[in-house]
Amino acid sequence: MRCPPIAGAAATLLVALALAPDARASHQPGSLSARDSAFHMLQRFAYGPLPGQVEAVARQGTLAWFEAQLALGPFADSGLAAREARYQALTLGQEGWARRFVAMQQANRARQLAANVAAPAMAPGAAPAMTPGAAPAPDSMAGRGPAASPVLATGRGAQPPPPAEELEIRRLLDQVRGLTTMRAVTADDQVHEVMADFWFNHFNVFLDKGADRILLPTYVEEVIRPRALGRFEDLLVATARSPAMLFYLDNVESVAPPEGAAPPSGAANPRRRGINENYARELLELHTLGVDGGYTQRDVIEVARILTGWGMMPPEQGGGFVFRPRLHDSGEKTVLGVHFPAGHGEDEGVRLLEMLARHPATVRHVCTQLCARFVRDDPPAGCVDAAIAAWQRSDGDLREVLRAIVRSPEFWAARGVKFKTPLEFVVSAARAVRADPDTTPGLANAVARLGQPLYRQPSPAGYPERQEEWVNSGALLDRMNFAVALAAGRQPGALVDLDAVVPLSADRKTLVHEVDERVLSGAMSANTRRVILREIGDLPDPARARTLAVGLALGGPEFQKQ
Amino acid sequence: MRITRRAVLKAGGLAMVSLGLDPLFLARAVFAHEKHGRARAGRVFVCLFQRGAVDGLSMIVPHADPIYYRERPTIAIPAASVVDLDGTFGLHPALAPLKPLWDAGALAPIHAIGSPDSTRSHFDAQDYMESGTPGVKATPDGWLNRYCRHRREHQATPFRAVSFGPELPRILSGPAPSLAIGDLRAFGLRPPAGPAHDKITRAFEDLYRVAPTKLLASSAAEGFEAARTLERIDPARYQPANGAVYPDGRLGQSLLQIAQLIKAGVGLEIAFADVGGWDTHVNQGSAQGQLAARLGEFARALAAFAQDLGDRMSDVVLVTCSEFGRTISENGSAGTDHGHATAMMVLGGPVNGGRVLGRWPGLDPAARFEGRDVAVTTDFRDLFAEVLARHLGATALDAVFPGYAPAPQRFVGAIRT
Repeated sequence: MRCPPIAGAAATLLVALALAPDARASHQPGSLSARDSAFHMLQRFAYGPLPGQVEAVARQGTLAWFEAQLALGPFADSGLAAREARYQALTLGQEGWARRFVAMQQANRARQLAANVAAPAMAPGAAPAMTPGAAPAPDSMAGRGPAASPVLATGRGAQPPPPAEELEIRRLLDQVRGLTTMRAVTADDQVHEVMADFWFNHFNVFLDKGADRILLPTYVEEVIRPRALGRFEDLLVATARSPAMLFYLDNVESVAPPEGAAPPSGAANPRRRGINENYARELLELHTLGVDGGYTQRDVIEVARILTGWGMMPPEQGGGFVFRPRLHDSGEKTVLGVHFPAGHGEDEGVRLLEMLARHPATVRHVCTQLCARFVRDDPPAGCVDAAIAAWQRSDGDLREVLRAIVRSPEFWAARGVKFKTPLEFVVSAARAVRADPDTTPGLANAVARLGQPLYRQPSPAGYPERQEEWVNSGALLDRMNFAVALAAGRQPGALVDLDAVVPLSADRKTLVHEVDERVLSGAMSANTRRVILREIGDLPDPARARTLAVGLALGGPEFQKQ
Repeated sequence: MRITRRAVLKAGGLAMVSLGLDPLFLARAVFAHEKHGRARAGRVFVCLFQRGAVDGLSMIVPHADPIYYRERPTIAIPAASVVDLDGTFGLHPALAPLKPLWDAGALAPIHAIGSPDSTRSHFDAQDYMESGTPGVKATPDGWLNRYCRHRREHQATPFRAVSFGPELPRILSGPAPSLAIGDLRAFGLRPPAGPAHDKITRAFEDLYRVAPTKLLASSAAEGFEAARTLERIDPARYQPANGAVYPDGRLGQSLLQIAQLIKAGVGLEIAFADVGGWDTHVNQGSAQGQLAARLGEFARALAAFAQDLGDRMSDVVLVTCSEFGRTISENGSAGTDHGHATAMMVLGGPVNGGRVLGRWPGLDPAARFEGRDVAVTTDFRDLFAEVLARHLGATALDAVFPGYAPAPQRFVGAIRT
């Protein structure tokens, strides 16, 4: 059932809650001010408030703001569209990416060939020549370590620069990463941005695995972002049909075993090896049912059999999705006790995905993850149950699920208890000083330095949500470094004009008050106020005092929480 | 670089909340005051993870076995280029820089070692090797972290357990503090030098003294402590000793920084580094080629590490490991696919080296795992348990490897007793 949108600036939180169909809403503590509720909403369903945004949302009505966000279509943000026009990476389409990938492969191969010809035969026992291009591309999911982190792109020493085709792809991928932080910082439809991040992380793909370098950008633009506030089933089916996912989790390798007996060891044609369970397993464990979702190893195998033939065209032919009937296992299958009659080809997979999308274990798993993101690391049962109920009555309409979470008392009771991820920290800091991002990956690199390189999480589980995974001393010190640099205008990737955020003031107390109001939205603790006042007390230049005060505020403990 | 901890919220730590510190940190801080000044350079265990499943048969080549050459017509290492060790096995020619360590009795390869779990998924197998609980995904922490947690008597230092890389690996995740270091030279607060530096450092220290959670407070406190120590060491000015030259690249830099911390006497006990690029499905190469290039960098980094440390290697044991091995037969792309057992290496002063350890099951089809892979005859936990017990003196092995109970009768004898 649908809740009527909350309209009008006068709609206070309590009124809104009273309109909610959920009887539990009456448990809501009535003492929350409009300002506090707006702040909490912007901390969770936006990447933090812009200067002055808390007041604006409080005036509008927190739930009215939320409803207005949900009412926006996926491409409704015209300001964002104008900024996006500066990114060449957005204009390529899958064909353009694939064409560049093929060119890069040819250039790398030509270079490797030339190097091998040039290398003299090696004497036994001698150290081998480090042939350029011989260092394996970071194309396997083998490197769970951060081998491809931009932080590490040093020390390749004597090797000549890569071919122009390779550099071109790297440049475009830098744009893709920069685009992500730019959108998060500047987009008006923040709920959409936050949800796009949530779903990408839920259906994680690793940028540095071979062809995923050129499949991932389209995956983000055409699979995840348009469906971020749609229906879960649509997301699930779209990811399952995406070459990026099928390649990342090896379903492109998964084929029906040859007719007759099992393949003899080793000697079998490597092109007809049989099923690969990788995607099937992660589909059940991570994307749908959850690790305790009640499936067996037998189910994993049967799911893999159903999805045999789901693959991709070679990059030379565009790299799009293709179903190959000849590679499909045409026998009958049974998953979770449900029979799939033989011979239904691609439709078996669609039917399977629809079944998984509606399975109670899936609903619980995904709702728990949503609540872990938006409420608490260990989500309370109340909001999870409310989300599940909304899912079931709306057939997986994600807007309804989010409404239920926002209306749950548990959401409002969880103010300030979550720790920002590196992405949330960097983006919220940029928003807090109204930074103007450029098209470089400067902010994305900062996110990577803090431990969360965008699109470079090799594990299909995505990045963790729990604070224990992110709170650690080195990263904390680097958050402080980032804050100081950003306030001083020395952070690459974004322009900062503090004049537009905090007016200069000769009076130190006024200055600190303004920093609290404008940058921390009034969240500054007594201790932080005392320390900042002490440290700026002996700085004669008010501009320097302001820079230091903003840097300390953004690097301080309050700003790490959400 | 960072210090990570998982909150011990459920472990009776609530009494310490008012202090803003968790009990683990506090216990170590108290211990530091008692022991300060007589901390001696202790024993060090370095774990080096070859992510991507290294081909053990190319590292430690069974060059006397005709099956090996029959199964790998294009990628076998020709017998003439193998660096023979014992007539049965030999080093890949790219590993020749390690031969002097073998000759000195400081290097022991272990063949047919791996996990009892049959997964051929990199994700799962790495996860199991780092959690130390094959087949159990729910294990929240890594086994090196559990080791640190159960041995509290180590001197208090933020540098006790350090991973080299920007992210803390699974193997060191858990409640015991540990650092992840991308680059020693870049650690800490980096405000402009001079008075601003002191001002900003002091300000942040005071800001985090009253952090909203003890996790934030103690993590920040340890970060500031580590930063002070590093200012003293001055990593930017480090020069390797004994003419050691580390290869370019992350692995060489990681080992260089480990050597540096060992020599600086900051209490390093556990060091971890990883290196990728071993997933050689296509065009693996033979005596030369893709894998040879990786192995060459690998061997030169290890050799430089031993040379740089010199006599200090008498306190150091380094173990190389990988999540599984590769198929005995080469595939249709002149590469190898995911297999089962692989080879690992132990090197250092305390190592019972100059011998290939472990029970070799052979390559005969009847002896293979699932008919295609080298069978596992040594559980990886027995090797790590032996190093913890005989090198570091650990006793609570069943707490480090829950549900396994490592037993000395299964140790391969990698460490001299």
